[in-house]
Amino acid sequence: MAQTAIAVSGLVKTFGPTRALDGLDLSVRTGEIHGLLGPNGAGKSTAVRVLLGLVRADSGRAVLLGGDPWTDATALHRRLAYVPGDVELWPNLTGGETIDLLGRLRGGLDPARRNALVERFQLDPAKKGRTYSKGNRQKVALIAAFAADVELLVLDEPTSGLDPLMEAVFQEVVAEARAAGRTVLLSSHILAQVERLADRVSIVRRGRTVQSGTLAELRHLSRTTVEAETAAPVTGLAALPGVHHAETGGVQVRFDVDADHLDAALKHLGAFGIRALTSHPPTLEELMLRHYGNGAAA
Amino acid sequence: MTAAVAAHRAAPAAGGGPLTGTGAMLRLALRRDRVKLPAWTLGIALLLPYFAAVAGRTTSTREDLEAAAQLVSVPMLRLFTGPAFGMEAATLPRYVIAVYFVEFLLGAALMNILLIARHTRAEEQSGRAELIRAAVVGRHAPLTAALLLAAITNAVLTLLLAIAAVGVGLPPGSALLFAAGTAATGLVFAGVTAVTAQLTEHSRGAAGLAGAVLGAVWVIRGVGAAQEVHGGPLTWWSPMGWAQFTRVLADERWWPLLLSAVSTAALVATAYALSARRDLGAGLLPARRGRESAGRWLRSPFTLALRLQRASLLWWGASLAVAGLVFGALAGSMRAGVAEEFIGAGPDVLGGYLSLMAVGMVFLVGVFTILSATRLRAEETRGRVAPLLAAPTGRWAWLGASLLATAVGAVALLALAGVGLGVGAALSVGESGLVGELTAAVLVRTPEVLFLLALTAALFGLAPRAVALSWAVLAYGGFVRFWAGDLPDGFRSLSPFDHIPRMPLEDFRLAPLVALTALAAALALTGVYGFRRRDLDGG
Repeated sequence: MAQTAIAVSGLVKTFGPTRALDGLDLSVRTGEIHGLLGPNGAGKSTAVRVLLGLVRADSGRAVLLGGDPWTDATALHRRLAYVPGDVELWPNLTGGETIDLLGRLRGGLDPARRNALVERFQLDPAKKGRTYSKGNRQKVALIAAFAADVELLVLDEPTSGLDPLMEAVFQEVVAEARAAGRTVLLSSHILAQVERLADRVSIVRRGRTVQSGTLAELRHLSRTTVEAETAAPVTGLAALPGVHHAETGGVQVRFDVDADHLDAALKHLGAFGIRALTSHPPTLEELMLRHYGNGAAA
Repeated sequence: MTAAVAAHRAAPAAGGGPLTGTGAMLRLALRRDRVKLPAWTLGIALLLPYFAAVAGRTTSTREDLEAAAQLVSVPMLRLFTGPAFGMEAATLPRYVIAVYFVEFLLGAALMNILLIARHTRAEEQSGRAELIRAAVVGRHAPLTAALLLAAITNAVLTLLLAIAAVGVGLPPGSALLFAAGTAATGLVFAGVTAVTAQLTEHSRGAAGLAGAVLGAVWVIRGVGAAQEVHGGPLTWWSPMGWAQFTRVLADERWWPLLLSAVSTAALVATAYALSARRDLGAGLLPARRGRESAGRWLRSPFTLALRLQRASLLWWGASLAVAGLVFGALAGSMRAGVAEEFIGAGPDVLGGYLSLMAVGMVFLVGVFTILSATRLRAEETRGRVAPLLAAPTGRWAWLGASLLATAVGAVALLALAGVGLGVGAALSVGESGLVGELTAAVLVRTPEVLFLLALTAALFGLAPRAVALSWAVLAYGGFVRFWAGDLPDGFRSLSPFDHIPRMPLEDFRLAPLVALTALAAALALTGVYGFRRRDLDGG
């Protein structure tokens, strides 16, 4: 069994003057949930479309489930299911008909699981495609994908139209898919979702991967924010190595510190008598913002 | 579940050609079109008994039939009917085939153009093809399924049309030849559209390009037919001519349909080759980059409506001006005597012909008007109206401005068509006064177009699902005007196109213009009133 579900290196794709992918690398291990992060236009959807064999890359290497996404497209598609961000349905087919159609095109779906998912996502499958809202169109595609017996789920911003209740159902269903041994590639810009679900993430910027790893690894490379109240006014904090943005207002202090220097900073703080202490690791949002370099990550 | 996944993993990654899933795609296409295709094929087939009945009434005596058959000796009329065969010994079926064959070819071509565009490029444009192609569906399956659907549809059309032809008195062999010729022409246009669908990113562009080819093919056939009764050399360059060259009910032969078959095969092969060379969703013709910020004038619902229809207006304007020039220029070749029968006018044959052309132009502008006005319904259901109405733009302002933009566009098109007709006629006859006369003759019919627009607006406001009904009014007007001249007055006066005087043949009368304009104003206001009161659909 292959340990790597998706292996991409140096992928380049240009559309006229636009360089949508500029040497993208991506490695997704079998059985993991991999988050693909990046703002609009970073190249996430183009990468997904290359992996699905819908678009041919100009250069670079992509291996999907051990095959070539372009030449082996149909054979590979038997083993994966895909949910796009903008789901369009046939206006005169009902949601139920569409789910079954997509399932059959993939080689059949399990009716019991289909019905259970319809129930969980609270979809009315008897309505015509033209009458669904964006969220309901997405549910149709999600049910069709999760009801299929596949190894890999490719989800491209699959929940942008779902309400928080349905978002919770989605997260449950994705977790169950992982428990069943499936691999999930989740492209998203809902950071809380990725933070909760993903085993590893890749951050994409302007068609390149700027960082890749587990959330713990990414956080380790980043800074922790510390807020404390001390018995005596704190001095000398800003001079410590690895401490940034220190704000000292007498007994109240707030600063960011590199992971490697956290221990030293806290020992320094201890000398002034700690009354209260909160610290939190950087949120994914802060990680992202740092990579997009508009200074708001402080 | 785990076991199933494991089983999949163990399976070899085999079994996936470019045509995988074609059967499922075809079933999907049949399901989607289960109303459309029977309606199209049955509709085209039913035209035959209708035309036969109309022709039967107008040529009830032997003399009438022979006089009507003489019409094919007028080159100008052959421009519209195509080459004619067997008219030396006219019978009613021969007359019907000679005069109306072209309409069946046009119908079949349009059906195929829309069918292929709907099942190929429209699917890619909407993103549904992405959902499909991410499933176990081969690269060529969607195109193949669309072409198979076209083949099935044309086979059904052949059958229905052959039955209809036997019903109006054709021998079975001739009926089959006529029906097969019609369907073969349809298939050629399925092939044309399969190619154009690879070129543009939008299905309207694909259908539009194919429509332009259809127009060219129609004109080439017509000009060839005008050269000789049995079709001149130019007609051989037109797929519509091939069907007519089977000489149904005369010296019949099947082999011209081989040309259709070979062309279809070549076009389909081209489409596959082009399709294999491009990404999903991309066109081979590059999409141009637009401007980065809006022009200063794009600041109101009225200018928005004009901006959205700019390309359409330019194309229509150019086409109508050229059509006007061509039809006008044919005035010089009119022969007195025979043409009177068709035009049904007194001594002024030239005036009769030109006034008929002026009326024809109004019907073409009517097509633009309805397309432009029914567009509003699509704007609404696609959710593009809601953001405008959420801005400080009232419903009255949006609908009023949009209708005004269509009206302005329609009047400009009428003027262009009239000037084209006038210049063409003036050049060929040598009377410069015709320019002004014919421009006036076309422009005087403005209230007819306004009535169509207002009717569509009223439907949009009161019964938005039925906006397409205004097509029926236009079609009824066309039938009454061009094909059913001897209907009782009651039927004629029902048509909004039969009240304004036909200039320059008839004298100007103000009353019908005022009445029709007033009616149009009332309908338009009703439409706006209804739209202000009803719920907005889509979103």
